[in-house]
Amino acid sequence: MSRRSLLVAAMALAASSASAHVTLENRQAVIGSPYKAVFVVPHGCAGSATVKLRVQIPPGVIATEAKATPGWEVATVTGKYTGEYEFQGKKVAEGITEVDWSGGKLPDKTRETFVIDTFLTNNLKPNTTLYFPVVQECEQGVSRWIEIPADADHPHTTKWPAPGVKLLPAP
Amino acid sequence: MACAGRETAASAVIRLVAAIAIVLSACCFANEASAHASLVSTEPSDGSMMANAPKTVRLRFNEPITPASIKLIDGEGRARDDVSVSARDDTIEISLPNDLPRGTQVVSYRVFSADGHPVGGSLVFSLGMSANKVIVPADRVPALDALIWLARVSIYLGLFAGVGGAFFGAWISRKSSAQQVIVAALVIGFAGAAVAWGLQGLDLLGLTPIDILASAPWLAAADTSLAPSLLVAIVAMALAMMALLNVSGRSKRMLSAVAILGVGTALAASGHASTASPQWLIRPMVFLHGIGVAFWIGALAPLAVMAKRPAASLLVILNRFSRVAVPVVAALALTGLVLAVVQLVSVRALVATNYGLILSIKLVLVAGLLGLAALNRFRLTPRLALDPLNTHALVRSILLECVIATGILAVVAGWRFTPPPRALVAAAVKPLAIHIHTDVAMFQVLISPGTVGKDSFVLQLMEGDASPLVAKETTLILSLPDRGIEPLQRTATLGADGDWRVPDVPIPYPGRWHMRIEALVTDFRKVTLEDDFDVPER
Repeated sequence: MSRRSLLVAAMALAASSASAHVTLENRQAVIGSPYKAVFVVPHGCAGSATVKLRVQIPPGVIATEAKATPGWEVATVTGKYTGEYEFQGKKVAEGITEVDWSGGKLPDKTRETFVIDTFLTNNLKPNTTLYFPVVQECEQGVSRWIEIPADADHPHTTKWPAPGVKLLPAP
Repeated sequence: MACAGRETAASAVIRLVAAIAIVLSACCFANEASAHASLVSTEPSDGSMMANAPKTVRLRFNEPITPASIKLIDGEGRARDDVSVSARDDTIEISLPNDLPRGTQVVSYRVFSADGHPVGGSLVFSLGMSANKVIVPADRVPALDALIWLARVSIYLGLFAGVGGAFFGAWISRKSSAQQVIVAALVIGFAGAAVAWGLQGLDLLGLTPIDILASAPWLAAADTSLAPSLLVAIVAMALAMMALLNVSGRSKRMLSAVAILGVGTALAASGHASTASPQWLIRPMVFLHGIGVAFWIGALAPLAVMAKRPAASLLVILNRFSRVAVPVVAALALTGLVLAVVQLVSVRALVATNYGLILSIKLVLVAGLLGLAALNRFRLTPRLALDPLNTHALVRSILLECVIATGILAVVAGWRFTPPPRALVAAAVKPLAIHIHTDVAMFQVLISPGTVGKDSFVLQLMEGDASPLVAKETTLILSLPDRGIEPLQRTATLGADGDWRVPDVPIPYPGRWHMRIEALVTDFRKVTLEDDFDVPER
């Protein structure tokens, strides 16, 4: 009984550490393995409803597959990668570099998630934070979640931190 | 029975913790949806120009907020305390005084959003057609200046005679002497630090000494760079006091060593010198200079007392002090020289400016102090070896050193009121040109006329290799941390010549302003450069 209460308390407190920014739901990922990037949009731009979300795929992230979100159309931009990567025995040099969701309307004080399946190549550096710059376009105004915090553990030091995921070394 | 009862109590506590955690997380989730507060609209709008003063200023946010600090700086550059602030849900209403002068008024606000994050900014509006009227800063109150000066001298006494004295007792003489003098210096220092805090607030708000009883000046001073400096000074003096009261020699040495480092830190944290560029050079110089001064001045009172009642150990202690004092004096001279060169800019400024005159007087006094120190070391100390009880000359010489040292502190405290020639030279150069260079980019900023009033900014953006940097949008953000003026944001417009321009930016105060330029290069990449610039006092 008491142990379960403690567990509930711990989980509740852990969950509450989520912030008011656009963030990634999974804060940790292992290099050399698939990563499901779940972008959490907790609100609009200064009170205005979100109408478009654009996510830039950072170098070293390949095999991107955007997931449909009910009520939104998903589109992708493809281009040359900055490097060449080994993936499932083949060399890959180009692919999706940006994913956009549009055509929907997310009222200000409403939470929604947007999902991209990716693969984190071994070219990424372990024990660093990987940032996915996000542009949130609203009926009025734009919020650019594109700033890279100087200190990855304290994203609040910048006003518009890009959502980040901590990279763990391959086991 | 008792055991079972305890178990119930324990699980009750755990359940309570769980319940609180759930409530907390529920609150946080609610906040998460509502996010940080953003300003939705203002009345009057930012940058507007009007013939008659509005009765109120309204700031509307996208969610309920709590005001933390609201400041009004009127068209004459005076911080006003006769505004009343009321907050209802998502709106802050600021009732303005009726007697606002013509010119540019700045409302600087800091609010807490529901999730506890502070959000700050500034709103500017102008009264009358006085777009280019230069604002004259508020007149100084002479009585207040005298008190500020006295508080500063008191802090110096506490830091140098107090902390330095405790350090001398722990490390050099290794015995307690002149305890009362050192304790008195520390007590004076504590009082000086507390009073200086309140006085800074009075100076900031343009109030008279009697207003020190109100809370406003104390709160206002907390936002300035003096506050951390005073806090470090108080901690350093408290550590020195603990060192004096401690009996163990090891603890004394530890405490007093940390305290004397605190002296350097406190001095490097504020003041004219520590705001000069290059910061990486100036701050360590001030830090070392402060420690050296504390070492030297701290030794004077204990040495005088010991020389008055000579014991066999006096010669040993004098020799030990001299061995350390020689490199310390060398370091003092070197750091002092570097600081003087940076601040003075030219030799002529030594006599041509108030700042330079103070430095000249200080140098004369320091020369006297050095002469006496040399006399003690090369004449009186050797003589003491021959005749250990004849210390009259030594006592006189050290007491004279004490007097001169106090004189130096009194003179140096006057720097609080004089801008260094460095700032005055900057004032004469028009426009103010600032070059910010990082690995990523290079921004050239021209500010004209570069004085208090309304200024135009021209921003030339270049890549790190000096090729033009093409930006989609450029934003200029200014703040004055020393005065607690929150960020003032302006969007630049691109001219045909490729330069970005921001006209009519209000600079209501002199001082060290902070500039942040954000250039949006692609939708996903922003280049941000920051730097400080000095707006000279008139």
